[in-house]
Amino acid sequence: MIATTELTLWTDVFSTKTGAVYQCDAERCWYVDFAGKVARFDHRNFLKLRKAVYAIDIEEKLLNTTTDPDVEIIFICACDHCYVLSLAQIINLKELLEGTFVMLELNHIIHDRLFSNSL
Amino acid sequence: MKDLLRIKSLISSDIEALLNQQVKKEAFSSSVYLAMASWCNRNGYDFSSEYFFKQAEEERHHQLKFYKYILDMGGNAVSPEITGIKQEYNSFREVFEEALDQEISVTNSIKNIYARCMKEQDFITMEFLNWFLKEQREEEYKARRALELFEVIGEEGTGRWQIDKHVGQIKYDSEA
Repeated sequence: MIATTELTLWTDVFSTKTGAVYQCDAERCWYVDFAGKVARFDHRNFLKLRKAVYAIDIEEKLLNTTTDPDVEIIFICACDHCYVLSLAQIINLKELLEGTFVMLELNHIIHDRLFSNSL
Repeated sequence: MKDLLRIKSLISSDIEALLNQQVKKEAFSSSVYLAMASWCNRNGYDFSSEYFFKQAEEERHHQLKFYKYILDMGGNAVSPEITGIKQEYNSFREVFEEALDQEISVTNSIKNIYARCMKEQDFITMEFLNWFLKEQREEEYKARRALELFEVIGEEGTGRWQIDKHVGQIKYDSEA
């Protein structure tokens, strides 16, 4: 559970039924609330997380008939966090990240069009 | 909410991906020219071999220019993996035909990045790419001129020997 004092410093970027992403302007980072933990990601690691999740071929995993468990380990170099996710969780995380980056892109457009022009 | 992605990087992730693709393309070109230099040298075309060694060096220089630009703008430059370099050619002429193809492909690729930059209004990358657009003028001219020599001189008799000699003298010095 996220403490309310922390939440006031965090901006809600995007959330789904399974998780949420918050941005902390003061720390210049993002907090990902997913799979039962809240993990902190700086700019570089957040992009690496996106790359790692997007690179997982979900269709290939669904069609895979081998007896391996449907579990994927998402490990990011030089990052404290690691995810061990089931196929359904990967789909959820991908959805969460896609939405997040659309929102960040939207935020960028707003900054670009509104704030830069008003200076 | 601050625009954190923008604070950290001047280029968008799409432009970054395209620039990294270009790094790979330039590295590939450099390796292709090196293979051409080797083929020419093995077959006795020493001037052409020297010409391709220089071209390989130039492409490597271009690769580093893109690479450093990505890093300077706060992006992630990726060291490329280069495979599938053709080592054998059927004829002396084929080497130059493929060299021109390679240059055309590089020009198209740079045009593609430029078009994307225009869409995003990324004037900074456009300004950076201007140098490459000018460079491609020279690269394509040189490749086309080399092929022209095959037409003008002809390959019969000592033709190939003459072509080789003239390839080493190809220059492009338009200041326009």
